Formats: sequence, C-alpha cells, structure tokens
Amino acid sequence: MKQALIFGVSGQDGAYLAQLLLQKGYRVAGTSRDAQMASFASLAALGIGEQVEVHSVTLTDFRSVLTVLAKVKPDEIYHLAGQSSVGLSFDQPVETFMSIGVGTLNLLEAVRFLGAPARLYHASSSDCFGDTGGEPATEHTPFAPRSPYAVAKAAAHFEVANYREAYKLFACNGILFNHESPLRPKRFVTRKIVAAAARIAAGSGETLSLGNIDVARDWGNAREYVEAMWLMLQQDAPEDFVIATGQTITLRQFVAEAFAALGLDWQDHVKVDSTLFRPADIAVSRANPAKAAQTLGWKATMGPADVARAMAVHEQQEILQK
Amino acid sequence: MKGKVALITGITGQDGAYLAELLLKKGYEVHGIKRRASLFNTQRIDHLYRDPHDIGRKFTLHYGDLSDSTNLIRIIQQVRPDEIYNLAAQSHVKVSFESPEYTADVDALGTLRLLEAVRILGMEKHTRFYQASTSELYGQVVETPQTEKTPFYPRSPYAVAKLYAYWITVNYREAYGMYACNGILFNHESPLRGETFVTRKITRAMARIKLGLQDCLYLGNMSALRDWGHAKDYVEMQWLMLQQDAPDDFVIATGRQHSVRDFVKMAAAELGISIRFEGTGADEKGYDAKTGACLVAVDPRYFRPTEVETLLGDPTKARERLGWVPKITLEEMVTEMVRADLRDAERDALCKSQGFAVFDLNE
Repeated sequence: MKQALIFGVSGQDGAYLAQLLLQKGYRVAGTSRDAQMASFASLAALGIGEQVEVHSVTLTDFRSVLTVLAKVKPDEIYHLAGQSSVGLSFDQPVETFMSIGVGTLNLLEAVRFLGAPARLYHASSSDCFGDTGGEPATEHTPFAPRSPYAVAKAAAHFEVANYREAYKLFACNGILFNHESPLRPKRFVTRKIVAAAARIAAGSGETLSLGNIDVARDWGNAREYVEAMWLMLQQDAPEDFVIATGQTITLRQFVAEAFAALGLDWQDHVKVDSTLFRPADIAVSRANPAKAAQTLGWKATMGPADVARAMAVHEQQEILQK
Repeated sequence: MKGKVALITGITGQDGAYLAELLLKKGYEVHGIKRRASLFNTQRIDHLYRDPHDIGRKFTLHYGDLSDSTNLIRIIQQVRPDEIYNLAAQSHVKVSFESPEYTADVDALGTLRLLEAVRILGMEKHTRFYQASTSELYGQVVETPQTEKTPFYPRSPYAVAKLYAYWITVNYREAYGMYACNGILFNHESPLRGETFVTRKITRAMARIKLGLQDCLYLGNMSALRDWGHAKDYVEMQWLMLQQDAPDDFVIATGRQHSVRDFVKMAAAELGISIRFEGTGADEKGYDAKTGACLVAVDPRYFRPTEVETLLGDPTKARERLGWVPKITLEEMVTEMVRADLRDAERDALCKSQGFAVFDLNE
C-alpha cells in the first residue's frame, strides 16, 4: 500500500487529491499549519475527514518538515501548501515568499537530507507566465510573473527544477491554470460570483461588485486536475507539465454563464468597482496542454463555461438544502 | 545646491567600492550599509572613509543587514536617498548550494525588504532603485548570445534567489510606478574582486606561485565560458540606468567570451609563465612549459551540482540607449589584476623573509 503525504491538505486541491488517492488505495497523511485548530471543512465536505491522518507542519520551519517526513515515510509527496491568493500577496509580499519560496526550499532540503526515495509533486502556477499576449503557454514559454505571488511561485518552480537537476530528485512542477470547485474559498473570484448569483436567485436583492471583468482565464475543474498531479508521479522520469482545459473565456463570460445557469441576466445584478482592480493584473491567460495529453494521457472534460454553470448550480443546491 | 544622496547596500564589496568612488566624484553624498562583524571588512573603501567628526564629510557608513526590515526602514528614513543601489547579496554560486535558505533570505527577500521600505516610507515616487541582477539568471542558456529578452533558466540557489529579486523589482515598477531597474551584469572583475571568485583566485595564485609562496592552483570546471568585463566600467552603467527618463532593464556585457583555462593562460603569461595543459576533465593539469612543474590541477570539490557552461552577453541595447562602450579590455584587466596581486605577494614574501607572519587567506 502506497503512502502519500499532502502538504496543504486543508485546501481545495488537497481535499480532492486526498479523496482520489484514498480511492486508489493509498494511505494518506496531510499537513496543515495547525492541525488541531484547522477545521478541515473541505475534507469533511468530501466525507473523508476520518481517513486522512493530519499533522501540524509549518513549511518555513525545517524541523517541522523533517519530522513529518521521517514519521510518515511517504512514497509520494504532494506540495500544495503556501499562501495562495494573488490579491493578498500585494499586501503580504514577504510572508508570500516565505511560505512559497523558503517553504519549498525547506521541503527540498529535507527530502535531500533524509535521502528519501519519495517522489515530489510541486504546485507551480500558470501565474508564472504573466501576460503571454494571447499566446497559449506551453512548458517552454518563458516566465514573466506579475504579482508577488507569481514571482514567489516562479522562484519555487526553479528551485524544484534545480534540485531535480542537481541532486536527481524525482520532482515535478505542475503548472496548473485556474482550477475551481465548490471548495474554493469565497475570496476567490469564481466562488464569490457563484455564491452571489445563488443568493440573488434566492431573492437577496444584492448587487455584486467585481473588479476588472475583461480579464480572460482558462478555468478548469479542480477535481479533474488532481488526477494530473497523481499521473505526473507515475511516469518513468520527472518532468514539468502545463495542466489546463485549453479554452479561455473572459470573466464577463464566466459571470454570464453562472447567472444564466440560475435563470438570471447578470447585467441586472453586477457592477464593476475599479477599487477592486489589482495593481498589476494579467489580461489574458491562455494555455496549450498538449504535452499532458500526449505524455500523461490527461485531458480536461469540462471547459470554463461548464465549470461556471456547474459551480452556480451546486451553490444553489447548497442554499436550497439549508 | 544640495547634491544627490545615494544609498549603497553591499558597499564593502567590489562594485560597492567602485560605485561609491564614482558617485563621490560626481558630487553625491554617499551612504553605505555594511554588516556588523567582529573583524573589519572595509579594505576596499578605506581610502574613501572620512572621520565622522570631519565637517562636510560626504561618505557615511551604517550598520545594517538585508535580513532586517526595521533596520532598512530606519536607515532609509534617515538618509532619504534619491538613489538606492542594491548590491548586497550572498554572491557566491557554490556557497549557495550549501546555504540555500540564507541565500534566499538575503538575495531574494532582502531585495523585497528594500523595495517595501521605500514604499512604507512613501518614497516610491522619489527614490530610484537599482537592482544588481546577474547573467547567472540565464544559467542553462536557451540562446546565445543572451539579451534582455532571453528567457531565464537559473541553475543554482543563488540564481533562483536572484530570479526572484529580478522579477519583484519589475513587479514593483509595474504595480507601483517605481523607478526601478535591473542591471543584468555579466561577470565583472578587478583587483578588488573577492579572493574566492575564480578570476581573482587565478591572478592571486599565479602571483604567489611566481614568488614561491604557493605550489599549485586548484580549480573546478576550467572549460566554463564567461564574458568578463571590468567592474569599474560596469558601475558607471549602474549609475547611468538611474539617470534615464524611464526605468528599464539592461544587459551589461562585453560580447566577448573566454574559458577559465584561457584566463589562467593570460594571467600566467603576464608573469612570463607559459602553461601547457594536458588531460581532460578532473584529470586535466597545467604544467610550466619550462620547468615541467604542475601549476594547475582540477579539484572536483569546486564542481557545482549543476554547472553553468557558457555565458555570453549581447549589450546592444545598453550601447544604443546608454552609450555603453567598455573602456578597459580583458587583456588590460588581467594585467592590472596580476600586477596588484604580485604587489601583495611581494609584500608577503618580504614580510616572511624578515620573519613576520603573513595571512595565507585560505578558503
């Protein structure tokens, strides 16, 4: 029976990944900064709260990383931990780098120190690409990060690549484009939109304020993306992969789809608030996930519009159940 | 008229010393940050130092560290610089493999702490910022020669930390309208280069071998190709980048490339020694063509877990926009470095012959 260790198990991806690995017969352990205080609501929502062994780990503390690796002795490590909000990274740039840049370094060093044979997945990010001018990004597209979050992720990405080359670690970067689900926290724009749409459909009468809705993204379904993470660690050699649907829509279209799924016209309920604009934002992000299809045999089945509709419907059902 | 005020981090280093001298000549009031240590580390700037009691003194040192935000904020608040030159770093590639976290803290976060200090003090429209970026960013080069548009492929914890510093500088320029520039400087050397960097290690060893103070020089990858210029030329470009109408990033390089082996031959030739290389890889050795003595050998300890084999810069943009023309040739630089190290070696040899102890300054 294989043992997996998921750093950042309390988040959206951690929960779906834990579920997937349990289904595949893995023993699953996970970390959170304070496992006694964390609610693990996402694991509970998937009904797997009892099946995941949780440990308190702070990635910026080498001892804590070393201890959990020595205790769990994982065959596969999934590194999903770190400050994950682009917006917050402008307000907390140092903490963002500490958790992402120094945290990843500590994990790599701990694996090296223990001489652990574990395979490592690192959650790199499509934000590293910045604005590609509409060009679909591949694994060979140069990085041009545009937020403290993205800059930190770019550094962590190359840390992983460097340790793979320098010390022959089996370490992969998954360059995942936006991937959403009902488990996304509400500060993420997709969840903010569908939550508001569902409340409005239930008669709240509110107006939804959004920042720049002309940004375009490739939104996929998180549940499908965690499968790609797992696949990367089942290959003969470690490599980096772009994971995306290959389709890009604007936030305006995403909003329209989400509202339409609940029988609403978004234009009656949404206003644009320029104070919500970010200091520097990516206009269009576009991906070419051909390598993942070819090498991993992985393809997204849901496109961005499907994701918007499914999330809105799910949100409405939750309200109705209450 | 009050002159401009500059703050230099890394003032005790090679570039810091040359830049401070340049700015003082231009009439700047120069402030430098140095780390506190039990030993003095100010040899390179002693000639610029003025007693704190001197009236009208234009050169001031502050104790500080890029790992301490509060300290940086306080110094910038006191100095209120028109220009900040961030030259401080853990700057040794090999050492970064041994101290990756420290390197990240100082080189990556240190740069962020400085940019944040400027913002926290509300000086982002006042203070211009120079970031010492590096050709090591290109690492496993994806094209040759390298320009401002060449994608980065860092190959060491040092280069990864510098990658963060590069992009966070760009990000603060874009997000907050700061006048912030990256100078992507290719290798630049001088008699002030640190003794553990390969060029200085070579010129110093050759001088000491010449005078019988040392037998053999041990090196790592002698086939590594580098684009070497003179630090004195390069600091002028650092200053010039901050005098433009708009901030931008520039490659500073000579556009010429030589191997470490070539550099050894040139340094030896300057002392009248001709070296014959035999063997390959870790077994390669350099012999004195006259005496047959082995003067150069490979020590695999100096190999890096991931090597950067070749770096060659294309400084077209700097030439066209900044008028960049390096004044000092590689040949002139090697001559200058060897002569300076020979002088030091002669002093050591003299002291030794008179029964005085001298420092060998081993790594």
